[in-house]
Amino acid sequence: MIINTTILSWVTFIYLGSAIFYLFRMVTGREFWGPFASSSALAGLVAQTFALILRWIESYKMGIGHAPLSNLYESLIFFAWAIVLLYLIMEWRIKSRNLGVFVIPFAFLSMAYASLEDGVIQPLIPALQSNWLTSHVITCFFGYAAFTIACGLGFMYLLKGLEKGESSRPFLRFMPDREILDELSYHSVVIGFIFLTLGIITGSVWAYSAWGSYWSWDPKETWSFITWLIYAAMLHSRFVRGWRGKRMAIMSIIGFASVLFTYFGVNYLPGLHSYF
Amino acid sequence: MKKKVLPFFASLKLTISLLIIIAVVSILGTVIPQQYDGGESFSHLSPGLVKAFESLQLFDMYHSVWFVILMGLLSLNLIVCSLNRFPTSWRLFRKIPSLDRGKPFENLPPDRVLAIEREPNEVIRGVENLLRRRYKGVRKKDTANTTFFYAQKGAYSHFGVYIIHASILIIIAGVIIGSLLGFEAFVNLPEGESTNTVHLGRQNRVKELDFTVRCDRFSIAYYDNGMPKEYRSDLSFLKNKEVMFQGPLLVNHPIIINGIRFYQASYGSIPGGQAYITIKKGNEEGTTIMVKQKDKFYLKEKDAKVTIERIEENLMSMGPSVLINIQSPEGNIRLWVFKYIERIKEGIPGLFKKVPKFNPGLFRPYYFKLNKIESRYYTGLQLSHDPGVSIVAIGSFFIIIGFIITFFASHKRFWVKVDEHEGRSRISVGASSNRDPVGLEREIEYLVRHFKKGIE
Repeated sequence: MIINTTILSWVTFIYLGSAIFYLFRMVTGREFWGPFASSSALAGLVAQTFALILRWIESYKMGIGHAPLSNLYESLIFFAWAIVLLYLIMEWRIKSRNLGVFVIPFAFLSMAYASLEDGVIQPLIPALQSNWLTSHVITCFFGYAAFTIACGLGFMYLLKGLEKGESSRPFLRFMPDREILDELSYHSVVIGFIFLTLGIITGSVWAYSAWGSYWSWDPKETWSFITWLIYAAMLHSRFVRGWRGKRMAIMSIIGFASVLFTYFGVNYLPGLHSYF
Repeated sequence: MKKKVLPFFASLKLTISLLIIIAVVSILGTVIPQQYDGGESFSHLSPGLVKAFESLQLFDMYHSVWFVILMGLLSLNLIVCSLNRFPTSWRLFRKIPSLDRGKPFENLPPDRVLAIEREPNEVIRGVENLLRRRYKGVRKKDTANTTFFYAQKGAYSHFGVYIIHASILIIIAGVIIGSLLGFEAFVNLPEGESTNTVHLGRQNRVKELDFTVRCDRFSIAYYDNGMPKEYRSDLSFLKNKEVMFQGPLLVNHPIIINGIRFYQASYGSIPGGQAYITIKKGNEEGTTIMVKQKDKFYLKEKDAKVTIERIEENLMSMGPSVLINIQSPEGNIRLWVFKYIERIKEGIPGLFKKVPKFNPGLFRPYYFKLNKIESRYYTGLQLSHDPGVSIVAIGSFFIIIGFIITFFASHKRFWVKVDEHEGRSRISVGASSNRDPVGLEREIEYLVRHFKKGIE
């Protein structure tokens, strides 16, 4: 067993633990659990970063050196990493742990999905041997991670709508006000949108040097375009028409569904993009 | 008429509807097989459906008339919207509001009003110095006993959205230029052969190049685990029978000749490579011969004529195999001669009983063995010439600039008033911003802190 995959499988459980702590905190309404939740998420992130670096070094030792971003397993790991990183930055900036319970589980799920895949470091097939691999995957997955957070916030917004007066359960009372959720979700979508655009651009540059055309309407390309359009529509309706709240929450969930399809669903359609 | 048409194209409802319609119809093209995918998967559709899809151009949806019309509408909407709103933004950018307005100073929280034990003139100088250091184009207005300042930052942020929209139009222009003036083509070139005709992408036509490309060699390298490591074509480009350029073509490393980019796109092997077959009788050494498809040889002892009918790289996943046809006075036998016959035999017990024509010793006393096949590859080259690419690249660059300006910059405006109040100098700081209230708050804090520090 190679050490980096061992660490990564431990990280999966650390994120699960963190998610459970966030949940305890919300359900019991006691801040007591908060520091456990945050510190385990941070510990997981540190361990995961370490494992990713190890994996990177390891690939060089094998003589097939490349950034650990080259297949479904590695992209899922990076996806989880980006989610936790963005989330912790957000938690630190807004000084509130209230969002964790809707975000960290996504990181856990991504890690858990990765554990079903083979974690062996594989060499790069000719199409992936490009300097654009790293920048393309990083930008795309930061985008996906930001959209994941926006979706988590969208769910929170809808749940928060169920709150009735002071008598409600701590779970709902602990959630931030709907205006704050709306604002944070909007910021996440903006970050995601910029990264998605960068991801599409870097992907086009790569496609131009690998396939001879910067855009060929391959299903993955088309679905990234569809996702882009959904979020563009969302930003326009907010910017110009001033839509807020529930409609935005629903759109952030629809947008995330499109992200998921771009990531996973496309593999069931015919096309060139079958590496991830 | 004009009064109705313009608002229709300037409406954001149209924008959002178009974005969503284009998103939804784009899904169709990912579900319905597209012509240039090879089209092998049409077969499961009923003929009626195929006809309906064809008339709607659904097999080449992204280039269909109606999809182009939708994109055209979106571009038109984008242009009209931008032109419609631009004058307002321009006014916001240019306009300097009056300095002694009362509104910015209404309901100021106490931390934005400073009382300072200094002469008003000294305070005014201090405020002015700081403002001029930090902002460009600071305005000042003196009245009887009050001095007003106005400063601003990030007025350009009103243009972010136009940069984004212009970038999108630039990208679309690049795409149109590319599709009008550029071309995509492909050619399959066997090793050792050369050509100057290539097949144009979707149009089913050929194009003549003004030079010739020759494939000297195609090779594949593998990693230890069997995954492909490198596809490589050694190409020569010739003009008037003279070599202009010679070099290896690798995936991700196109070769550019006369503005045409060559890509390593695919490869394959050509039936009819060479096979090495050993023929022996009993325990003797046997003789090895090299054969090609349709070659014939003679087996003296049995008066048999043997014809090589097929040479297969990989017959039914059992590895290299050669089909030979043996005609002798005893009759006609067809034999598949495998390279890995021992392994196949182990895998399928009783193989020769079930499939006698796999038995290399069927035609006694002869025994055939396939040593190896030397296959001939062809390389699949993709060609493209797209003069729109640099325009698309410029648009892509500016769209990111536009995003940064739109989402991260804001027009912050500051009104500062210095007057006397209860025997002390008083500074009041009013401010507004078109977005980013947090950033505005931070900037005000900075000003207040430095007013205090700078003057005291």
